[in-house]
Amino acid sequence: MTMDESATASRDASSGRTVDDPSSTTTSTSTATSTPTLRAVDIQHGYGSETVLETVSLSIDAGEVVAIIGPSGVGKTTLLRLLALFEQPRDGALEYDGTDVWEITTQQRLAFRRRIGMVFQDASLFDASVRRNAEYGLHVRQSWIDRLRREFADLVGLRDGTSEALEALDVVGLADELDRHASSLSGGEAQRVAFARALAFDPDVLLLDEPTSDLDPRNTAVIEDAVREASERGIGVAIATHDMNQARRVADRVAVLLGDGIIEVGETKTMFEDPEDPRTRKFIDGELIY
Amino acid sequence: MADCSDCLGQAPHVAAIAPLQSEFPFEWIYIRSIIEVSLYVSLVAVALSTLLSIPVALVLGFTEFRGKGFLRSVITTGMGFPSVVVGLSVLFLVSNQGPLGSLELIFTTEAMILSQLVLATPVIMGVSLAAVSSVDQQVRDAAFAMGGTRLDVALVTIKEARYGLVTAVLAGFGRAISEIGSVLIVGGNIVGSDGESYTRTLTTAIRVEARNGQFDTAFLLGAILVVLVLLVNALVIRLGGTNGGYR
Repeated sequence: MTMDESATASRDASSGRTVDDPSSTTTSTSTATSTPTLRAVDIQHGYGSETVLETVSLSIDAGEVVAIIGPSGVGKTTLLRLLALFEQPRDGALEYDGTDVWEITTQQRLAFRRRIGMVFQDASLFDASVRRNAEYGLHVRQSWIDRLRREFADLVGLRDGTSEALEALDVVGLADELDRHASSLSGGEAQRVAFARALAFDPDVLLLDEPTSDLDPRNTAVIEDAVREASERGIGVAIATHDMNQARRVADRVAVLLGDGIIEVGETKTMFEDPEDPRTRKFIDGELIY
Repeated sequence: MADCSDCLGQAPHVAAIAPLQSEFPFEWIYIRSIIEVSLYVSLVAVALSTLLSIPVALVLGFTEFRGKGFLRSVITTGMGFPSVVVGLSVLFLVSNQGPLGSLELIFTTEAMILSQLVLATPVIMGVSLAAVSSVDQQVRDAAFAMGGTRLDVALVTIKEARYGLVTAVLAGFGRAISEIGSVLIVGGNIVGSDGESYTRTLTTAIRVEARNGQFDTAFLLGAILVVLVLLVNALVIRLGGTNGGYR
């Protein structure tokens, strides 16, 4: 079912469920009056002759957590990469605070891109210390003079971690591990550093691509707590996951991505207890195998 | 008076070169000038080659375009290109009748640099290409996702590939400083009457000394060459390979 088709099944906000209708400013009951921070409007994308996403619409408001659930290979990563402005969708619009980010210059788009943080399924840390990893987002936002100054201070050992990076590492419980090398971290610790790296530059939107799929329960809990804290700070979070329990624990809203598009979006409680689309029910119950 | 034991022709600016005179008394000026010429030619050639090779390797490693496979094949082939053929080609380029003849580069250190540049570039480029291609795409994506520009992503790639890039530079330096065929052809192996080297390098000097039966001097020059290579390797590894500024 395409987004257009599913839109016919959408209900009003008072029912607690909605398919993100691009023509509507109402995206959820909790943030019905707020302007969406990031908004995908009828985006379509694919690779070669293959269509991966067909007419997908989704919004992420400030301070809310949206879980994108769906089986592996359905296009969750593609959707997040489009939201992170890695590439331009084949069709549709991607709006950031009302600005179509693919209708502006590269330099203007960079400014929007720098308001988005992303955590990948693999930590993908740089071959450097925890501190250098956590500071990377801040580093690229500095002038070249400041960067050189920082490199020199590092060289002569005159510098501690920046307060933003320390604060972000504190959120994931690794503020005391500044000087450890990334290669010495466990998988869970590495993913926590990756989360801190995305949080340190205080983004407006945080995109998480199955960040806990390879983690043990303890590290998963740390990441989920960090997601809640980011949300409390006003950061809009989109988390792609195939873990239904995780979606239930952390998300304000859930978007179900099946086939080529989002078939249903709604409040977490409603989606799990009384989904509109029978395929959502089947997927949540583990009966729908793709 | 100068010794030009391997000159293939007489350029106007080396008209003062005397008939063959291959024996020089062992003096410090002789050794020192040979070391200077060797290091100058090899280091300049490797530096220029590195500046050219790493950006090309980055572009080749991460962009798709028509003819990319062919270009990679050319680089790989160039890694094993016979130095004598390179020397002949460069000699043609810089000879009076060649396209660069007006620059009067024949039998100069600049011509030697040019030939070593041609020899070292495929080695540095090929090994650099392998190094940057081995950098995980997800790490590059992470740099981009954190707000990095294309330049930032390229810098991250260079940092991630630094061990391989250092290896590339050292391999290029090894090829350049141990080269004999092409520098002999384009440099002429010239030494002044005062024993100071103009275009004689350690390798060409070893060849001359060994041919003249001066095995003591040849072995001494050989030992100096090995020590120089070890020193440069240690320095480059120290500066770029281990903890250099990337904690």
